Amino acid sequence: MSEMLEIVSDVFEKMCKDFVTKETVDLLEEGQWASALWQQLEDNELLKVAVTEQHGGANGDIADLLALYQLVGYYSVPAPVLEHTLANFILEAVGLTPYSTVTTILFDEQYDKADGTMHHVPWARVAQQLVLVAKKQLMVIDLSQATITQATNLAAEPRDTVSFQQAGIIAQVALSKQQLQQLISYSTAAKLAAMSGALDKAFQLTVRYSKEREQFGRPIHRFQLIQQHIAILAGEAAIATAAIENIAHGMERSEIAFASIRLDEASKIVATSAHQVHAAIGVTYEHSLQHYTRRLWAWRDEGFTAHYWQNQLAQELLQIEDLWAWMTTK
Amino acid sequence: MKLPVVQFTREQQAFRLKVRAFLQQHLKAGTFQTKCDSWLSGSDSAFSKLIAAQGWIGMTWPKHYGGAERSTIERYILTEEFLAAGAPVAAHWFADRQTGPLLLRFGTEEQRQFFLAKIIQGECFFAIGLSEPNSGSDLASVRTKAEKVEGGWLVNGAKTWTSNAHDAHYMVTLVRTAPYDEQHKHKGLSQLIIDLHAPGVTITPIPYLTGERHFNDVFFDNVFVPDSMVVGTLGNGWAQGLAELAFERSGPERILSTFPLLNELIVELKKAHDIAGLATASKLLAEMWSLRNLSLGVAQVLEEGGEVAIPAALVKSIGTKFEQKIPEIARLLVRAYPSLQAERAFDRYMAQSILHAPGFTIRGGTSEVLYGIVAKGVVAQ
Ligand SMILES: Cc1cc2nc3c(=O)[nH]c(=O)nc-3n(C[C@H](O)[C@H](O)[C@H](O)COP(=O)(O)OP(=O)(O)OC[C@H]3O[C@@H](n4cnc5c(N)ncnc54)[C@H](O)[C@@H]3O)c2cc1C
Repeated sequence: MSEMLEIVSDVFEKMCKDFVTKETVDLLEEGQWASALWQQLEDNELLKVAVTEQHGGANGDIADLLALYQLVGYYSVPAPVLEHTLANFILEAVGLTPYSTVTTILFDEQYDKADGTMHHVPWARVAQQLVLVAKKQLMVIDLSQATITQATNLAAEPRDTVSFQQAGIIAQVALSKQQLQQLISYSTAAKLAAMSGALDKAFQLTVRYSKEREQFGRPIHRFQLIQQHIAILAGEAAIATAAIENIAHGMERSEIAFASIRLDEASKIVATSAHQVHAAIGVTYEHSLQHYTRRLWAWRDEGFTAHYWQNQLAQELLQIEDLWAWMTTK
Repeated sequence: MKLPVVQFTREQQAFRLKVRAFLQQHLKAGTFQTKCDSWLSGSDSAFSKLIAAQGWIGMTWPKHYGGAERSTIERYILTEEFLAAGAPVAAHWFADRQTGPLLLRFGTEEQRQFFLAKIIQGECFFAIGLSEPNSGSDLASVRTKAEKVEGGWLVNGAKTWTSNAHDAHYMVTLVRTAPYDEQHKHKGLSQLIIDLHAPGVTITPIPYLTGERHFNDVFFDNVFVPDSMVVGTLGNGWAQGLAELAFERSGPERILSTFPLLNELIVELKKAHDIAGLATASKLLAEMWSLRNLSLGVAQVLEEGGEVAIPAALVKSIGTKFEQKIPEIARLLVRAYPSLQAERAFDRYMAQSILHAPGFTIRGGTSEVLYGIVAKGVVAQ
């Protein structure tokens, strides 16, 4: 971790601790987002970590962003931090100018004309503009002219329906196939980093609970079947963290595919074991475990899924000669 | 562990078709919407009334009490059809599955006369009052106590996780009628039928992780329970409760909670002519078939009055794992965007299954505890 990143992560984490409580996450359910946190992040220039100096940012890279996204997952941050910072990073990557007002992003390969309706647009209700990545072009769309119908994912995060009579396109740029692939990699890596944070948190909560809860006169972590769950969770959390660190630097396509497939599996295993150890208390709204498991269940089926990456890998495998060489020499 | 093989008779098959036609008709008419896990999370007293009008609550009970003396296997068929259609049968479920058989076995004549006919008419719903905040898996440590007073008992304490207590009229409640003795925890426990509308009873919802109302805290503050509401023998509550668990653990509801999703998976794969996907999905069908063989075998042993505690624990632990697995396999075969509000049935059933799945391996005894029962039983044989 670079020195800058370490400082940024520390400050970001402190703000999460100060501003993201169980209650603020619950409020998202009622449609309220953490605007106070957003203000803090803005005042402290934390939303510009990966914006270039030219546009007033700290010149960070995708690795820096992924470290923040792990915290976004770990604290279930109820604000569009990931969407906004990723959108801006991608805008600069294709030569456009970033925005300081709230910006969101959607990948829609089918979408090549910005009119009509888009589903599951993250945070559209609070964003000023939408970065829409279509198959052959990237467009920036002014959301002030759109009709926005509120909807949510499994974790009550805003995933709105956006429709236009006539979309106000503020900026537009053509994308090559390579560029599109690169942007897909960024988007996938961002989601996986957030998932790894949520996985880690579910693991931590479970360890803590296993020490607090007693049955048959002893803490439940003393039962061997509970120890098995904890060991499995420890393994999954370690695998997820290592996967994110490994993709952060190279952003290598096949590695992102591996991480996507493996974290999909991890999310299933972790949600199952974490809930099993918590038993009844874990399936209540009151207990915070659900903030993390519901996000895992939601995120794994959004954007570029393990299913997508399995097919990408299948295509790549058809091309290669020697499996071992391909796995080890990149 | 050898279980009998069940072959359905012609009459039984005809009965199945009759139930199926009834459900299809109500589905079409919009009386209910198919849901996963509807046997526990789909409570609809009006629909329970319709079931009652068909004579399908308490159908195995003696005619003398208003039942139809049908076989356990016929009841099995009935519940399978409810589950496959995802029908909202939660309101009367516990009364039909547990309370009726409990009263037939241990209840007084007065209790049977009073409750069974009402249950059969779909007018009397029961909740199950076992768990307490500090007594989950270690159920014998329950502390809710009943003290002897003139003509009855005064109950103080609290139950928790009580499914549908807010819709139920009564609760069979495990309480301590003798002081707690650390060395003999199982002693001094009794089952009382508590009127949930009696003075001193407070029911507060515990929102489920989806925010839905499903289970509750039930508090007792000097609740008077007349002597006539003690079930069976005083102090014999533990043994009586164990007998109930056999009915609770081996039924089709431990296999089919997510069947509507499995069905929709096959529909989607067929639409897409996805042969490879169907081939993978066929593994789920093979699992379902194998589990059904066991579950039906247990039902047959129950019919013959045999001992089923161990195979019932086995069916529940494997069956609930299967129910949990369906959404996890389905989402890898068909692209889903799970959402409770989704228009597409597949996405909706997926969301219901994912969000309710964690409870499958917890309610009615956790898998960890069941593995212990199975292993001990097998080793002792
Ligand atoms: C959806 C739902 C509906 C329910 N409805 C009802 C109802 O209507 N009425 C009612 O009375 N109860 C109900 N329950 C409660 C249910 O019976 C309990 O949740 C269950 O018995 C486990 O108790 P617990 O939650 O306190 O977990 P705990 O007993 O605290 O268990 C925590 C973890 O420790 C494990 N563990 C505990 N002891 C051991 C051991 N000896 N060896 C190995 N592992 C162990 C458990 O398996 C679990 O993984 C419901 C629960 C759910 C989820």
